[in-house]
Amino acid sequence: MTRSHSRAVAADVQRPSDAECDYCHLPVGGAGDRRGPVYCCFGCRLASEITGRDGAEGEATWTLAKLGLAIFLSLNVMMFTMALWTQDLYDAREVGSGPLAASLADLFRYLCLLLSLPVIWLLGLPLLENALATRRRDVAAADLLIVLGVAAAYLYSVISVVRGAGHIYFEVGCAVLVMVTIGRWLEATGKLRTTAALDALEKLLPQRVRRLNAQGESSEVAIAEIERGDSLRVLPGERIATDGCVTWGCASVSEQLLTGESRPVGKRPGDQVLGGGLNLDGELIIRVTAPVHEGSLSRLIGLVRAARMTKGRYQRLADRVSVWFLRGVLIVACATFLFHYWQTEADAALMSALAVLLIACPCALGLATPMAVWTALGNAARHGVLFRDGEALERLAEVRAVRFDKTGTLTTGSPCVTHFVLHQQTDFVEATQRAARLASASGHVFSRAITRYLDADIASVAQPSVEQVTAVAGLGVQSIFHAEPEPTQLGSVRWAVDSGLVLPPTIRRAIVRAQRHGKSMSAISWNGKVRGVFVFSETVRSEAPAAIAACRALGCDVEVLTGDELARGRHLAEHLGVRVTARLTPEAKVSALAAARREFGPVAMVGDGVNDAPALAASDVGIALGCGADLSRESALVCLLADDLTKAPWAIDLARRSVRVIRQNLFWAFSYNTVGIALAAAGWLNPAWAAAAMVVSSLLVVSNSLRLQSKSTGLFADSSSQNHSTPVLVDDAMNETDHGALAQLNDYSTDDAKGPPARGHHSVAASSSEADVVRAVIENAS
Amino acid sequence: MMELSLVFLGGLLGSAHCVGMCGGFAVLIGAPAKRLTSNLARQLIYSSGRIFTYCVLGGVVGYGGLWLAQRIGGFVHVQAVIAILAGVLLVTQGLISTGAVRYARAFVRRRFASAIAGHRVEIPAAGMGCLMGGMVGAFLRDRRWSHVFLAGVFTGLLPCGLVYAFVALAASTSDMFRGMATMAAFGLGTIPLMVLTGSGATLFSLVGRRRLLTLAAWCVVLTGMLSIARGASFLTWTAEAPTSCPLCHD
Repeated sequence: MTRSHSRAVAADVQRPSDAECDYCHLPVGGAGDRRGPVYCCFGCRLASEITGRDGAEGEATWTLAKLGLAIFLSLNVMMFTMALWTQDLYDAREVGSGPLAASLADLFRYLCLLLSLPVIWLLGLPLLENALATRRRDVAAADLLIVLGVAAAYLYSVISVVRGAGHIYFEVGCAVLVMVTIGRWLEATGKLRTTAALDALEKLLPQRVRRLNAQGESSEVAIAEIERGDSLRVLPGERIATDGCVTWGCASVSEQLLTGESRPVGKRPGDQVLGGGLNLDGELIIRVTAPVHEGSLSRLIGLVRAARMTKGRYQRLADRVSVWFLRGVLIVACATFLFHYWQTEADAALMSALAVLLIACPCALGLATPMAVWTALGNAARHGVLFRDGEALERLAEVRAVRFDKTGTLTTGSPCVTHFVLHQQTDFVEATQRAARLASASGHVFSRAITRYLDADIASVAQPSVEQVTAVAGLGVQSIFHAEPEPTQLGSVRWAVDSGLVLPPTIRRAIVRAQRHGKSMSAISWNGKVRGVFVFSETVRSEAPAAIAACRALGCDVEVLTGDELARGRHLAEHLGVRVTARLTPEAKVSALAAARREFGPVAMVGDGVNDAPALAASDVGIALGCGADLSRESALVCLLADDLTKAPWAIDLARRSVRVIRQNLFWAFSYNTVGIALAAAGWLNPAWAAAAMVVSSLLVVSNSLRLQSKSTGLFADSSSQNHSTPVLVDDAMNETDHGALAQLNDYSTDDAKGPPARGHHSVAASSSEADVVRAVIENAS
Repeated sequence: MMELSLVFLGGLLGSAHCVGMCGGFAVLIGAPAKRLTSNLARQLIYSSGRIFTYCVLGGVVGYGGLWLAQRIGGFVHVQAVIAILAGVLLVTQGLISTGAVRYARAFVRRRFASAIAGHRVEIPAAGMGCLMGGMVGAFLRDRRWSHVFLAGVFTGLLPCGLVYAFVALAASTSDMFRGMATMAAFGLGTIPLMVLTGSGATLFSLVGRRRLLTLAAWCVVLTGMLSIARGASFLTWTAEAPTSCPLCHD
């Protein structure tokens, strides 16, 4: 039921000409627009019948019973055949010669015949039907020939039994049919497991939702019936079905699936919510903005599905090879038959030809690449990395250099207060109160930063009485406090100067220093004097050092490309220990990428996908951050859903592992096939063993591919994104002379990427007594 | 053929170990039955399916032993080697059941934790086991006797250390029919306890069952040691390989 539900959910995102297997949801080549269920292989058809997906339970067990019965009969046939063989091994005196032994042997032969005929009906017919029904002519031909070969063996054996002389091959036929059926079933099960990661994502969406009608009455409807503009009621603990806008209620929502943000976000009326988000603690009423199959989670799943449809380089290679391979196999089989027929008997020739067909079955070859790619794509999606297509995986594996953009990629792109410099220590409480009151009334980026900075203090401070806060465009905010004659201002320094406010020496020195480092400032002033200055700085993402180290550990050359000022670039270089090339125009960035490609090899560019689209498109693989809320960053081949930089090297590592697995699979498939064909053509391989070897080979390819589902090895054995949502302030280069005081002020060190500090950026008030700290700044500044 | 009774005993007591894993199946088999007699009938059908599979396994490996003896009997005393191997398997299996091996494994894991960490090994054969398990489950739920029988057949194919140990013993007979007989004896030995479990009768308390399990494990170890002794005694015959078991002069 989940499958049909999820199909309804994700159906519209696929291109109409491609089709998916009804059982394992993997691509089916050239199926066109058939009616009825479509399967990619015999195994999926069989498995889907067995699990009763199509409906009737009775039919499901009947298919399984057919297989079970066939196995039971085959076991019997094997026993009797072995009993016949012992006659060849024992001395005549042991078993006893004479008519008894002979008639016993005859009896066993007839029993074998009787017991094995049902098997060809139970297992051979479905194989035959599938072979005739399938579109891919080469595969159909191989399957057809196998069934015909088994039938021929049976016929020969029946004639031998009736004649009373000659070899019988019933056990070979039974074993072959059983092995081929089981082998195909195993492959189908394996394919199903590659989609397990995506299935887990799909199952997260609720099946039924509560829809409110105009009168506010709620009724339960299926998820597929939701339309744009509907109102849905989401209770705590439930997942939000689709994208929407909150119209009532407020709650914490975890959107970790899509944004990677481990901290829940408070949603109020007017906020957007994404499909797939988890409502944690409050009741919400949401107005739907997109039907379910266009919701973020469904689009994500749809994109992964679409990625699986595409064929990468290795897959195209395997496809080309398998076409010629099959034709070659058919020729070899015929040649083997003719050769052995000329050399020995017809039955030996038949056995050899059958063995060639079985051992050469390209199941392993056909599965080698797709299984690895599909598993990797699904696993990546589960960890918040979206590959646009299978080829992206292969290209990423070859990357030898990584280039990072600065603004918005290595840094969060939103400023934070690093220093709060005061004219007098006694002004602290007053300044805090006024600044907090003014800043909270403004939506400016700096005001928000100030509000965050003073957060801990606002709650403990009584709100001063104040009249309306007015914003002066481009300059700041002001208001009258405590019925003073002059308004209190919070805004740019230039505005303070132009308003005729006095700059005390401490403030002036602080301003000069900040300007030397190219930093932005806001001044808080009242009663004719500038009383305090907030100094802002960009925050480097806490995981940036770890990400850069990981890229280096993967053997990639790392550099930062930015259009920002040289000074800022230099500071970043010193802090992160990485080469920074600054003041680059967009064209210069593209040529820098070309230079990197010439020197190191394929280049990956990590950016935010919005501001540096040309650079991303110019690199060999573009990796875009923060796609979670906006899945349509077309310029990037790889989308990181979260803002977690360490996912970039993780993705490179996954791509390399995938390509390794693909190579291993292909190597195994080729070598096993070659050796097997040689043995079979020489007549040394029994068809039953060939069929068993085929099953083992498929099993090995499937297992090897499923290894990619594990998180990782080595570098990323313990990657968690828990710590990466809180940015850490690191810009302590402001005052080169008073590093000590700054270390006191800012309660963290440069390699503090281990985890978020305990709200350390409020440490002006946090560490030692406020007065001491502020005094230290003032004394050092003078 | 004297040792067949020993094998029967091994199966009888070893089946205490079986109840742990396959007891659940037996209970499921009995679930749809309304009366005790029909329940018993289902249990017997289920067990006959199991014994069928055991016989097949015994026959196949018996033939395999014979084939090996014929091919390389000149170089290697096949019977002796297989008997010793079978004995080692049985002893190991028994010791595992008593929990001795588990201690060793835990010790190794603790000692070399850092070296082992991060390595995951996918066992391809596990796929086969899972497949058989899936088939058993599907058959178990059905009411028809044919399906109960098939469930028994596939239960016999499930990976089980005890079964494999006795299969190795069957291989050491190097005779197809003796191999089948060995496994049939083992299977028959497992019937009483499995039928009882499936019918819902619990003769023993939890403590009693654990004691029985330990006793069964030591019986399996004993059988293994006997097999090793038999194999070893084969090897001490320097003149020529005997064609019969020296212990029972059969």
